[in-house]
Amino acid sequence: MNLTTFYLAVAGLILAPLLGGLAAGVDRVVTARLQSRMGPPLLQPFYDVGKLMSKVIAPASQWQGLFVRWALVASLASDVLLAAGGDVLMCFFIQAASACFVTLGAFSGSSPYSKLGAQRELFQMLSYEPVFLVCVLCMAKASGGFDAYSMMGASAQPLLFKMPLIIPGLVFVLLIKMRKSPFDLSACHHGHQELVRGVYTDYAGRDFALLEIAHWADVVVILWICSFLWATGPLQMLVVALIALFVVILIDNISARLTWRHMVKVAAPVALLLATVNLLWLYLE
Amino acid sequence: MFDAYIGVLVLWPLVAGLLCLVLRSPGVRSTLVLATGAILAIGALGVASQVPFTANPGFLSSETALKVAEGAAFVFPAYFLLRGLMEKHLLVIVFACLQLVLAVVGMLNMPEPQAIASAVVCDGLSLALVLIVAIAGSLICIYALPYMKRHEEHLHLKTSRQPGFFLVLLAFLGFMNGMALSNDLRMFEAFFEATTLCSFLLIGHDNTPEARKSAFRALWMNALGGVMLHSGILLIEKQFGIVDIHAIINPALWTGVSMLPIALLAVAGCVKAAQMPFQGWLLGAMVAPTPVSALLHSSTMVKAGVFLCLRLSPVLQSTNTGRILALAGAFTFFATAALALGQSNAKKILAYSTVSNLGLIIVCAGIGTPIAVAAGVVLMLVHAATKGLLFLCVGDMEQTIGSRDLEDLRGMIAKSPVTALAACAGAIGMVLPPLGMLVGKWATLEAAQADPVIMVFIALGSALAVVCWVRFAGTLMSGKSIEGPHAHTSALTNMPLLTMLASAIGLGMAAPWINALLLPDADAASALAGGWGVMPPLFVVAMLAWIIGMKVLGRQSSVPLASPYMAGLPSAEPNSFVGALGKSWVLTEGNEYATELFGEAKLTKLAGVLAGAFLLALVGGAFI
Amino acid sequence: MSFLKKSQIKSPWLMHFDCGSCNGCDIETLACLTPVYDVERFGIINVGNPRHADVLIVTGTVNPRNAVVLKNLYDQMPTPKLVIAVGACGCTGGVFREAPNVLGGVDKVIPVDVYVPGCPAKPEAIMDAVVTGLGKLKGILEGSK
Ligand code: SF4
Repeated sequence: MNLTTFYLAVAGLILAPLLGGLAAGVDRVVTARLQSRMGPPLLQPFYDVGKLMSKVIAPASQWQGLFVRWALVASLASDVLLAAGGDVLMCFFIQAASACFVTLGAFSGSSPYSKLGAQRELFQMLSYEPVFLVCVLCMAKASGGFDAYSMMGASAQPLLFKMPLIIPGLVFVLLIKMRKSPFDLSACHHGHQELVRGVYTDYAGRDFALLEIAHWADVVVILWICSFLWATGPLQMLVVALIALFVVILIDNISARLTWRHMVKVAAPVALLLATVNLLWLYLE
Repeated sequence: MFDAYIGVLVLWPLVAGLLCLVLRSPGVRSTLVLATGAILAIGALGVASQVPFTANPGFLSSETALKVAEGAAFVFPAYFLLRGLMEKHLLVIVFACLQLVLAVVGMLNMPEPQAIASAVVCDGLSLALVLIVAIAGSLICIYALPYMKRHEEHLHLKTSRQPGFFLVLLAFLGFMNGMALSNDLRMFEAFFEATTLCSFLLIGHDNTPEARKSAFRALWMNALGGVMLHSGILLIEKQFGIVDIHAIINPALWTGVSMLPIALLAVAGCVKAAQMPFQGWLLGAMVAPTPVSALLHSSTMVKAGVFLCLRLSPVLQSTNTGRILALAGAFTFFATAALALGQSNAKKILAYSTVSNLGLIIVCAGIGTPIAVAAGVVLMLVHAATKGLLFLCVGDMEQTIGSRDLEDLRGMIAKSPVTALAACAGAIGMVLPPLGMLVGKWATLEAAQADPVIMVFIALGSALAVVCWVRFAGTLMSGKSIEGPHAHTSALTNMPLLTMLASAIGLGMAAPWINALLLPDADAASALAGGWGVMPPLFVVAMLAWIIGMKVLGRQSSVPLASPYMAGLPSAEPNSFVGALGKSWVLTEGNEYATELFGEAKLTKLAGVLAGAFLLALVGGAFI
Repeated sequence: MSFLKKSQIKSPWLMHFDCGSCNGCDIETLACLTPVYDVERFGIINVGNPRHADVLIVTGTVNPRNAVVLKNLYDQMPTPKLVIAVGACGCTGGVFREAPNVLGGVDKVIPVDVYVPGCPAKPEAIMDAVVTGLGKLKGILEGSK
């Protein structure tokens, strides 16, 4: 580990949550505009988190604080790992650990909504994890290495042309991870729904604020990995990430929620199959 | 000095077991079991300090020893045949007869094989198995002391059957060590068959109809494995005239000749490791008392199967046989992980997950590159500790509440916090970074780079396992948050449990370094430069998270908790809400097992056929 | 004013509880979310969970049955919290005040910070009530400096 890697890691640690918060702000403004509303200020997510930070409330379970911290550390660690050019597979696993901690916290909560959300969260994990993993494997195969640098600096030709079939998969993963329709099954980003707030129901105050930051960090990781598809330069990567973000917001606004059965039985297999076909194709080439 | 260590490892457990049988008092038994634990640990450490080495202890290399081994090839099948005839179990009879026929053929028709250089060759792989037996094995035997006492109280037995039970349990440890260390295929086979016998006796220990049925199912499948093993050995003897395992696994020997014997040995390993379609015997074996399931059917005996496959890995590397074996393992990894997800019986979850993880190790063996094999050995070690821990926890909770259904284990954290938390730690250790199982899975995934199908299977299986174990831990942590009646605790239960927890976590954390130790120097350097470099910082981060988390936990444990949100309705008692007319309504929770997707009924048949096809292709492909 | 204090004013999350309204006030409350009024401009979100809410908006009259729920929801909210009683019913019991099962306005059960008159209350008035409430909160926060 040299000094540059260290600086990059620190930059990842600080910038990733900030960028994630900004992405959330962009999301809310764009969503509002799509619905012909003004929408909140761009920095609204930061105000929300600041507000949650200063709230005083009793925890719903003694374990939740612990799991929230673990989730936050895991999410930030996956960002740092990616920024330092680490192994993308490991980054993915750490990121999955973060989701597991959130779920465990929801399980240990006291509200039935929280537990129902946890069950659904598990099925979401079941659906997106293999798809995402196969997408990463495709990138690794095409760029010849599992580490982030080799994927980013792969070649003059963007990876996208070698793996068009993983795009539905990546969108699927993004929709689930960003808790957007039609796959906002375990916790919708809108407050009012039959699950209340699903996995997030029992988290409150400071714990919830930290969880929100962890969520931003997660979103950055996934958008970043999506941007490997056109990694010819930082600007191009940013554009790809923004396009991905916009696509997700658009889908969120034009679709209704599906059931978890539909997700596990139809959407996930289709996405996985396409990604697998792409992987096999890369190997046969 | 080696001979003494090896003697202690192989023979002492047998002696201790016989002493248990003769001196029937429980006090003596406890002392003997504890002493065995200590002695095995010393022996294993003694061996570990010298590894790698070769030795020629008399009791494994003399003429008499070979005669005994040869005799065992008759005695075991004959006993199986006898039991099969008594029970009129056709499959057992058929396979036991086949085994006998092979034994006769072996005696009459074979030239005396070349003498082997050294009867014991101990390398990293053998050491791993010896360590598993010494640590996990003895801890589980100690745990068995209070467990079997309560078990027999529960069954209201007039005369205790524990002396016989502990004879088999302890002797089994010796057999495992013998198998790990022997370098003579015939010796290896004798020990291999001895473990089959132990397994058969222990599964049937309770002698209920269900136990008998499961015992015979285990017997016929393992007898089939025995047939495969013996025919493989005979073919090797006939073709090359050698029985020296380390000479046989020289890839140069196998260039341009049929891989059939290797394929047969690998299938024998798959049967022992309960790979699909042979997973049935392991599931049935869960009727046995928990120490048996923990010792034989998760942490040690089934490891014999993967041990055999890993042993063969130099020959399997980049051959079609190896590729098909890896594919079969990957498929089992995936299919049994799915089956585990559809289960609510905690012991069945453990059983399926065991099969699944063994499948992953078989993938490593099939790939056969040094990096893959190192990952396989790490998985073997960590899995033994972690799964052993989970079994002990489930067994303890089962004795507390009298049920092994996951739904009944809900909220155990309030009732027996130590055990439930240890179980949660075990569950987390099964799937999350930076602990060993995940690290092993990661290494396997990167080692499997050449084969996309295997990688996709691993991706699927790993997601299924994550969901399964998070749900397992979550269920234990969920439910009533009241302080229930506390469970009985005894030092003899908690000591092995906590030691096992410590070794599971310790081994889990040490995984990258163990892995580096197992690799040849050149590979170690490149592997560490590639992925492993990330592990030390990751541990620092994990430690940091641990400290922060514990501080918060301490803070939140001391404050009153918020009342649960139940759509605004107040709740007078935990897990209920006050509804109309002031009536209290109890909430019931349950997990979604999605049996329409992961149910045993459909999936077992389908996956069994596919897995069977893989194994047939393995043997058939080698034959052609 | 520090960022944390400022964000308490800029991010009021509302929970709307219908005590027993005729639905007139509910519809007006929800109308605030529509593009015409768009309360999200002020960072307002409608949440369904007291543990995440800062402002409790109550419409309708209180009766013995829902008083328990109202009190419970209020207790489950984190502090600092605001309560806004919307409509004549929420303020005093309105036209139902004398009904046998009606206890009266919201303030019979929990402390109310802002009263919004009207039958039904107008969306503009409800938004104004939130802003007034936030002003009150701001005063408290500045006082506590
Ligand atoms: S104030 Fe008027 S509109 Fe509002 S709930 Fe009461 S009766 Fe209905």
